[in-house]
Amino acid sequence: MPMKRRLTSWIAAACLALPLTGTAAKAEDPFMVGFIYPTPVADVGWAKQLDLGREAIEEAYGDRVTTRVVENIPEGPDAGRVMNQLVADGADFVMLGSFGYMNDGLRLAQRSPDVDFIHASGFRQAENFGTFTARGYEGFYLTGLAAGMVTESNTIGIVAAFAIPEVIAEVNAVTLAARKENPDVNIRIVWVNTWFDPAREQEAARALISQGADVIFSLHQDTPSVVNVAQSEGVYVVNTGSDMSAHGPDAVLGSVVTDWTDYFVEAVGASLEGTFTGHDERGGLASGMVSVAAWNDVLTEEQMARINEVEAALISGEAHVFAGPLNDQRGTERVAEGEVLPDPEIFGMDWLVEGLTGSLPQ
Amino acid sequence: MGTMLVFLLSGTLLAATPLLLAAMGELIVERSGILNLSIEGMMALGAVVGFATIMATGSHWLALGAGGLAGVALSVLFAGVVLLALGNQVATGIAVGILGLGLSGLIGKPYEGMTVAPMKRMPIPVLSEIPIIGPGLFNHSLLVYLAPLLAVGLWWMLRSTRVGLVIRAVGESPESAHAIGYSVLMTRFLAIMTGGFMAGLAGAFIATVSATLWSDGMIAGRGWIVVALVVFATWRVDRLVIGAYLFGLATIAELLVQGAGIRVPSQLLTSIPYIATIVAISILSMDGRKMRLNAPASLGRTYNSTA
Repeated sequence: MPMKRRLTSWIAAACLALPLTGTAAKAEDPFMVGFIYPTPVADVGWAKQLDLGREAIEEAYGDRVTTRVVENIPEGPDAGRVMNQLVADGADFVMLGSFGYMNDGLRLAQRSPDVDFIHASGFRQAENFGTFTARGYEGFYLTGLAAGMVTESNTIGIVAAFAIPEVIAEVNAVTLAARKENPDVNIRIVWVNTWFDPAREQEAARALISQGADVIFSLHQDTPSVVNVAQSEGVYVVNTGSDMSAHGPDAVLGSVVTDWTDYFVEAVGASLEGTFTGHDERGGLASGMVSVAAWNDVLTEEQMARINEVEAALISGEAHVFAGPLNDQRGTERVAEGEVLPDPEIFGMDWLVEGLTGSLPQ
Repeated sequence: MGTMLVFLLSGTLLAATPLLLAAMGELIVERSGILNLSIEGMMALGAVVGFATIMATGSHWLALGAGGLAGVALSVLFAGVVLLALGNQVATGIAVGILGLGLSGLIGKPYEGMTVAPMKRMPIPVLSEIPIIGPGLFNHSLLVYLAPLLAVGLWWMLRSTRVGLVIRAVGESPESAHAIGYSVLMTRFLAIMTGGFMAGLAGAFIATVSATLWSDGMIAGRGWIVVALVVFATWRVDRLVIGAYLFGLATIAELLVQGAGIRVPSQLLTSIPYIATIVAISILSMDGRKMRLNAPASLGRTYNSTA
């Protein structure tokens, strides 16, 4: 009875979507790891990457842990309720998958000293409350080089979600790299001012293509919206988060992939051993937290060799994306010759590099 | 420059078509005296059912039809509560809308983040050969041309046909319409179902024709814009058409202005479609007395025919 089975699976899905109540005999139960995602888990995207981390935890620790997922929880009062419920249900470790979960998460962490938390992209830590951020800009620097190599119209378009430091750093990295490879390159940016509106993201991509862009960067769009447009319009695209080449086999120039598995496994391991301390984990190309997948075949062997060379230099620390001399949009020097931009300034970036037109939402 | 203008025109039509479709449905509903605030949920349900249909059958037309029917199904629930159980229209509309959004997420789970092929375009012979205007306005899928024609039909129907007069009579004074022998309940039921169909169709259009993907929450507030458009258009079809296309135009123009690198804060640009639509329609309906004359007198009021 397929109909009945479908109904059962709906009911099961509905139950999963609600935080389950119940008293947990904490001492006997396996170590429980709870996950809260802001969006539904799809086959690609932000929540998917976080969920791969969850799978890695299950694989690494087997019967010693159980995991529970609550997905599609918008930032706001709902999130606070859901995380309280997870802890009430006996969670020993909680992964908070969105920036806006920060304040509720911190309050909960202070009330629950036995539970360890890790929080995505946040900037406040506590003894049992760590944060993690990927140096996505390193991946975007590499793909920016590639974009500078393949563009024929010398126009690169960027569809950017919100002007937060993480995204601004990526816009700047793309610009620096593309300009380095091809000084004539022109960069156009559209801030869509939303984390989630696939139709609008596509309109933005089409607008950029109509203005001559033949490489589009999809910065922090969670669905293959922009990739889909690039594929049908015959331009290249670089996307964030997951390998989306299945949605744009010809179009994807490279996907900047974030891989949380090592960090999640390590953090849960520390919590199991009782050695967890809340710190700020920042991983890039060197730790494998950021990588570029699905390089397009259009890149020649020499071009790939050049990209790999830069990647090696970034990994070894010999090169740095934000190395001086670096000026901002108005021509003011931000980084002096021979210096690099320190981490706090990268993760608090609020200025565009020289050569970018357009203004930054304040 | 040329390709930009082409996109300005074609993007405007694509962005405006679902708004116009759903808004025409809502206009019929409101003209019959019912305020339906569940458009957002009906569009979302239409979008996901349309998307599921296209995944199963590969047909855009079936997808659009199925999306419309999904909207009808939800509208029957809404109609049942407000017409038969005499529920409060605002509360019921919001509740049914939330139900539609939730259901769409549940049904859409297996399709999350998937994409489908775009619908076949039907360039109009001769006209589509005109430079810029041709590819901009006359190279679209059928529904894009159909929407303004439907609007003309709706305008004519409301103005000059018996059905239109009955709908308006019911919306102005259900008591009088009832007294002279028209079924208020039946008229409103059919109006609500039509509105549901149009909202579902609009949702399916977004998921399978303009955006060609499904993701939970992808309607992203468009249902509320539809409701606002109807009110700002003062329940007149001609102004509704202007409002929908103007909103579409401003949405697209804003993106082009940003892409051109003009130094204007992007949040301001993002709000321009809303501001422009409000300003334009407010100017059109400056005369407050006339505007109130346009509003269906019984809008939002519960009517009990057995009392």
